[in-house]
Parts: sequence; C-alpha cells; structure tokens
Amino acid sequence: MSSVAVIPVTNTVLTASSPAILRAQIESTLGEGFASTLLLRERPVPRTISTGVPTLDVLTGGLPRGALSEISGPASSGRTGIMHAALAEATQREEVCALVDASDSFDPASAAAAGVDLDRLLWVRCCEQKSTFKRVALPTSQKPGQPARISFAFSHALEQVLKVTDLLLQGGGFGMVALDLGDIPAESVRRIPLTSWFRFRRVVEPTATVLLLVEQEPCAKTCASLVLRLQTVSIYASPKPSCQVVGTENAQATGSSNLLRMQFSGTVKNKSDAETQRPCIPENNIVGHADVFQGMRLRAEVLRSWRQRKPPQSVDAQFELRAAL
Amino acid sequence: MFACIYVSDFPVEAIVRSEPLLREQAVAVLEGKPPLTRVISVNERARSIGMEIGMTKLQAAVFAESVKPITTANRRQRRYSSGPPRHSTSATMRQRSPVQEGSAHLALLDVAHAFTPRVEDTAVDTLLLDLSGLERLHGTVQKMGSDLAERIAAVNMEANIAIAANPDAAMHAARGFDGVTIIPSGKESQRLGVLPVQILLDAFAISSQGNSGKSLAREREKLCEQMLETLEQWGVRDMRTLGLLPEHALASRLGEAGVKLRRLALGEGMRTLALSEPSQQFEEAMELECAIETIESLSFILNRLLDQLCVRLETRALAVQELRLRLQLERRVADEEITTIGELAGIGTSPDCHNVALSAMFERNLRLPVSMRDAKVFLKLLQLDLAANPPGAPVSKIWITAKPAPPRSAQRGLFLPITPEAEKLEITLGRIKAVIGEHRAGIARLLDSHRPEGFRLDRFVVAAPKKISSTMPEDSNSPALAMRIIRPPCRLRVRLEEGRPISLSAETKQSSREKLQGKVLWSAGPWHSSGNWWAENANPNDSNVGQTGPWDREEWDIALLSPGTSMTDGEGNAVTLYRIYYDLATGHWFADASYD
Repeated sequence: MSSVAVIPVTNTVLTASSPAILRAQIESTLGEGFASTLLLRERPVPRTISTGVPTLDVLTGGLPRGALSEISGPASSGRTGIMHAALAEATQREEVCALVDASDSFDPASAAAAGVDLDRLLWVRCCEQKSTFKRVALPTSQKPGQPARISFAFSHALEQVLKVTDLLLQGGGFGMVALDLGDIPAESVRRIPLTSWFRFRRVVEPTATVLLLVEQEPCAKTCASLVLRLQTVSIYASPKPSCQVVGTENAQATGSSNLLRMQFSGTVKNKSDAETQRPCIPENNIVGHADVFQGMRLRAEVLRSWRQRKPPQSVDAQFELRAAL
Repeated sequence: MFACIYVSDFPVEAIVRSEPLLREQAVAVLEGKPPLTRVISVNERARSIGMEIGMTKLQAAVFAESVKPITTANRRQRRYSSGPPRHSTSATMRQRSPVQEGSAHLALLDVAHAFTPRVEDTAVDTLLLDLSGLERLHGTVQKMGSDLAERIAAVNMEANIAIAANPDAAMHAARGFDGVTIIPSGKESQRLGVLPVQILLDAFAISSQGNSGKSLAREREKLCEQMLETLEQWGVRDMRTLGLLPEHALASRLGEAGVKLRRLALGEGMRTLALSEPSQQFEEAMELECAIETIESLSFILNRLLDQLCVRLETRALAVQELRLRLQLERRVADEEITTIGELAGIGTSPDCHNVALSAMFERNLRLPVSMRDAKVFLKLLQLDLAANPPGAPVSKIWITAKPAPPRSAQRGLFLPITPEAEKLEITLGRIKAVIGEHRAGIARLLDSHRPEGFRLDRFVVAAPKKISSTMPEDSNSPALAMRIIRPPCRLRVRLEEGRPISLSAETKQSSREKLQGKVLWSAGPWHSSGNWWAENANPNDSNVGQTGPWDREEWDIALLSPGTSMTDGEGNAVTLYRIYYDLATGHWFADASYD
C-alpha cells in the first residue's frame, strides 16, 4: 500500500519568494529526495547547424540539434529547396541523414544538384499508392453553407511516417532526420496527435540529431523549437524586369538564358514593397527548365524560435532561389 | 607434446549440443529403419538406467518408460531440494542426425584450429593436436589442457582431453580417462596400463581409417575383433598385461599388428600427424522431431543455432558477411491426396504436381552490408525477414550457413561525425522494411541518363568518410530550386490555345491533386525530350520498364493559378509552378513535377 503524504500549506501571501518557501516546506516534510523534482530545469542553449542559406542562418540562428524544427509553406514556396540546402550542409559534413518522404516526391536529381551527398542520405519512401489516396468522409460536423468536408485518408502514409521516424530516432546516429509532409494536406497533418511530436522531441533531445519537418502549415505547436514560414514573393526570369534581350544565333549553342528574348506575361503580383515583379517567359524553347525561374524571390518568417520563447514580433527575410538544374 | 580431444558418445553429444536441456536426461540415439531401429549411442545417464548400444527401439523404450519424465514442477522441486541430484529422472530417444553430427564435428575442428594450426582430423569424435612450441603462447601444459576444455565447453560440448608425449598415447588416454589428463613423458606405460585392451583396439581401428579406404578399414576392424577375441582367450584384458608379453612371441602369433599393438600399449612410438586444413564451412543445422508452425517457436531454435555459429566464428576470429537460412518444410499434401486432386481436376498426376508438393525447401539470404558477429542482431534480422516472408508451412529441418569474412575494422575518432552503428542500422532498416515494404528505402543512385526518373534505389550502407568533400555548388548563398516529383504522373485535361496550354485540370480526383487545376498563368516550352527508342520492345509488365523503356515527350513549365493562399495574383488565387508534359507515344498530358 502506498501512502500519500498530505502537506499542510500555510496560508501565506504568494510573493516572489513563495516558491522557495513552498519548496522549503515540502523538503522539510518529505526530505531532500524531492528537491530535484522541484528545481526548474533550464534547457541548455542548443548547438545549431547551418540551414545552408546564410540569410536564414542570420534570421534563425541555424537549425538546433536535438530539437524539432518546422519549415512550413504552400507549394512552390521554396520549402523543398531549403530542405535540400540543409541536407546538403549536413551530408557535406559527412553526417548520415534520413529523409522520410510521406508522398514519395523526392527528386534525387535536384537534390544532388543542390549539393546533397546522396551516398549519405537514406531515402524512405513511405507512400503506398494503393492505400494513400483512399477517399474517406470524415465524420465531422458540417456547417450550413460550407461544402461537405471530404478529406482523403492519408492516415496510412502518416502512420508509416510516424513509425519510420520513431525507428530512425530510436536507432540513432543520424545527423538529420527530415520528414517531408509537403504534399500531405494540412488538415490531415493536423490530425497527428501532439503526443507524437512530443515523443519525437523527447527522443531527439539528448541526441545531436536535427529533426526537420517540412509541411504546409505548422503542426507541432510547442514541441517545435523553430518554426519557419515561407512564402513566394515574386518570380522573374531576369535581374531586370523590363528586360527585352534579343537572342543571338548561337544562343542555342551557348545555352545562356541571359541572351534570350524575354517578354513579360501573366499577372503575378507580390506583397513586396521593393518592386513588383512579374514572371517572364521565353518566346523560344531553348532554355532549361530551371532557367525560367532564375531569381525566384522568397520570404521567410520566423514564427517560433528557440532563441526567444515568445517572439514579440515575427521577423522575416527575403532571399532568392537559384537555378540548380 | 600432443593433445587429443575425444568426445565420447558423439551422436548423443551432437544432439545434446543443440538441445542443452537434454544434458540432464538419459539420451539414447537410434539409427535404422523400422523394424531394424537400434540404439547406436547412449550417454552415461542412459547407461545407468540400463540402456545399451545395440538394443532395439522397443527394448530401449521399456527403460525409457520406467523413468519419470521431467516436468516443470519436478525441475523446480529438484532445483530447491538439498542433497545430491538424483541420477536420472527422464529418458529421451532421438533419431540419429548426421547434419547435427557434421556441425558438431566442424565446431570441434574450429576449436582445435583456433588453438593450433597443426591438427589431425583422426575421426569424427577424435582430434589430435600438436602442441609443440605453444608454451609461450598458451602457457604450461596444464593450462593448455584447461584452456582446451573451456573452449570446447564454449561450443556446448563435453570432451575428454589428454596430453602426452606421443599422439597415440594421448589418444588412448583421452579414450580411457574422463576430463583432462596429462601424462608426463616417460610415464605412458604406467598411466595407460590400467586401460582395457578394447580401447587400444578401437583406437587402432580408427587411426587406420584415415589413411585407407572403406574396405581396408572394414578388414582392419575385423582383424581387431579377431585379435581382441584372441587376447581375451589369453586372459589379456588390460594394456599393462599386453605390454608385458614378449615381443617375438607376440609377433609369431599375431604378426606385425600384434607388435604394433604391444608398442602402443606401452605408450611408445611416434608418428607424423596427417594435418587437416581449417574448414571454411560454417553451418549449423537441426532436425526436429515434430515440425513447428510458428515463427516464435522457430526463433528459439534460430537463436540457439546462431549462438553456436557465432561462437564458432569467434573462435576463428571471423565475422559474417552473408547468412543463409534454409528450412525444410513439411509436406502439406500427401501423395495420395495429390493423385486424388489430380484425377478430380482431370490433369492426372503430372510430375509438376508432385514437384509442387515435394520440393518444400524455403530459403532466405541475408546479405549484410558490413561483416558482423552478433547473434542477437542476426536473430532480429531473420525474425523481421521471416515475418515479411513467412515459410507458409511447418518446418521440420533448419540449416543456417554463414559466409565468413574478416571482422570489420574502423578507426574511431573524437572528431568524426556521428554515424549509425552498423548493427543497429541493419535492424532499423529491417524494421522499416517491415513497415513500408521491400525496396522502399535506400540510397538513390543517379543513372547516366536524361530520363526524368533516372535513378535506382540501392541498399543503404553508411559511406566511408571522404577525404575531399567539396561537391557543394559554388553559389551556395541561396538555396537551389528543387523539384517535387508526382509519382505516378497525374493525367491532365489541358486546353490549348495557339499550341500553348491555357488551362488544365487533373483527371484523377485525388486529394493531393485537387489543386492541380485552374488557369495557366504563363507557360514556357515545349522542350522535347526522348530516349531509349531502341528499347521499344521492352516488356511493359517489367517492373523496371520505367527505367528501361522508351520515352518521348514535350515538357512545359507552367505557373498555375488555382484557389489557395500561396503567392497570389492579388485576387487570393495561388500560383504554383508545375512541370507538365505531353506524351507523344500515348497522346496524353501529364503533370510529373512541381517546383518548390
């Protein structure tokens, strides 16, 4: 039979020193064995590694080791590019990394072009086509006027992701474990219980592993030490928006996009107050795919950081994507 | 000095080695087909209850039934009871297992070869070791004897060990005395004199088998039997008496063999050992009395076999590069049933039909990325493999073969980057494989091809540190544009205007492709890409057709305006960048990647 000690707490006015008084009372009643549980554990400042993007390193202080970091953003916002940059940095340091690919969307060619050492990257392809895209109606309340909330059951893929991540973290020895949930709808990712992220955080805490989560919207809440939100600001194909470069006869031979005839098209606007950029397209068809997106401008916003428990205001920075292919 | 390792009751010991619990019981090993099944070997406990070599199975069963079988309660009671243990509480009869005897013999050879390179494989239960020059390595003769006994105990066997100045004296002493016997030089006749002549003749017959054929060995055995009969008639029952006989008189009556026997009885004579090469075969096997059906039960046996295998490898300072598991499955369909089924189906009893039922062998190969020697790791890997690929029928015989390799050596350092432990990583990969399936995790290797999916997935092995690692792009201040591949490509309905796509929508209604519809804000292309046209006859059912078949397509980069919250056009519509293509072979549009 275990007995519960009832501690009489005196009716004292709670002041700044009241926790110390309470602690002294408890220690005098229960002994000093309970002292350690009453101490406030201060988390040590985590060691960080570079994200691979100097601008982001300045903004965030780097990706903390032994912690969960989130990179969120919609499609075409540069999430994957930053993930590749972080993986490239880690693999170049000869660390072994793992990529848990929830939707089987990893492109080894562009990763290699970004500098990822594929020999040091364990690619786990979680998505099973037959089971991933099973349509299931969620039994949620439907508000009048809203469309029927039909979601797709990604539970199988997410279950695989969680199991595999658990195994990788328990196995240990990885410099970075990246979870790519970029193509999984945010409403499905939000259904992952917070306890999973909490468990991952606790598992990874005493290790030197960086747990990186790429998704559409932040989902790990307070379990994440760093939350970064990305947005595309502009797309343009030339440093000069008003370019009207006339191509030469040997442009095809040289393959240089700067010598191509460009013209503006489309109506993409951005929130940047610097300038309004619009995407250009080449008239002819002799440029590489990625040349079209040369100079895509992104905006990164820190929503949560290990450096400040509650950022007074979010900070952001802008940087460009470069053509990798 | 020479040492002899002799395992008495070798067939019993080979079985007991795989089932250590039998060591507490009386065990008799049977051989032959009914009704000619006879006892060929018994252990001491079986002898104490009256079992003898040569008994029929029925006779042995009478003795076996006379003793009380061991139960858990009995065992517990005996464990906590004071006083000496009772001699025999249970008896077991087992069929002779040549595969287990082979494994036990190889284990003995491994122990001997680990001790000294000069080993004579005299018989299946007898090994002779040349110990000359090993004093500086192993210590005194007494220490060598105890070391050998410990090493043999490590492979779950019990053997007599004798050390003497000549190999024959060592062999006779090992056959005659239990435990470790050391005969000082010059006292051979004194120590061996008490042994019965039977031992001398048995050893004489065995020592001649190695150098002669089967027919000659049989003749030698017959000769030995005749001599034993003669010696018994003379009243010569021990080796001392035989040694006292006059040499000339013995030669005139028993010939050259008699003289040799007398010299052996006196512990004289020296011969050269016929040295054997160390075996590179590492196999452990077990035959089961009753077939087992569950993987859990099989795991216990695998654990035991793997333990034995790892101990053997450890004695030879080797590790495992590849592990092969073979299971003999019990036939699920009897021959009569096959005939009946064949007649009912109107297909007769074709040879194929018989083969299906009879070829019940199940094999799994476990290739390890690095050499290891951890039985627990092997067991876990085999368990995971069998869970993913179950045998599908009861198992009646098990073989585990290891391909030996030198143990891996790695230089560790304080400043080396963290890497997963090889053993842990293998288990982790095995578990991941169990979760996501085969060939879904590994290293992506880029192929020398312009094919969009030009890569293959290799097994993940931690790469060795590179001396020069400067493959980072020069302009690494900004992240590179990345692609996200849509697997499989999403088929599209595309509206064209002047040959350019102006709007599209996905044909398949999948959640992740819901956003793949809307107005094409701008497009760039087409870029024509084709290849492998020479492989038009590739089998479309081939799983690698995506990597080997031809492709011919026109690719477009588009900015798709669709409802969302991303980079917007000012009206709340998201702009997403996709790569779409028109497949010239099928005439369909697909989206195969997005830019991110």
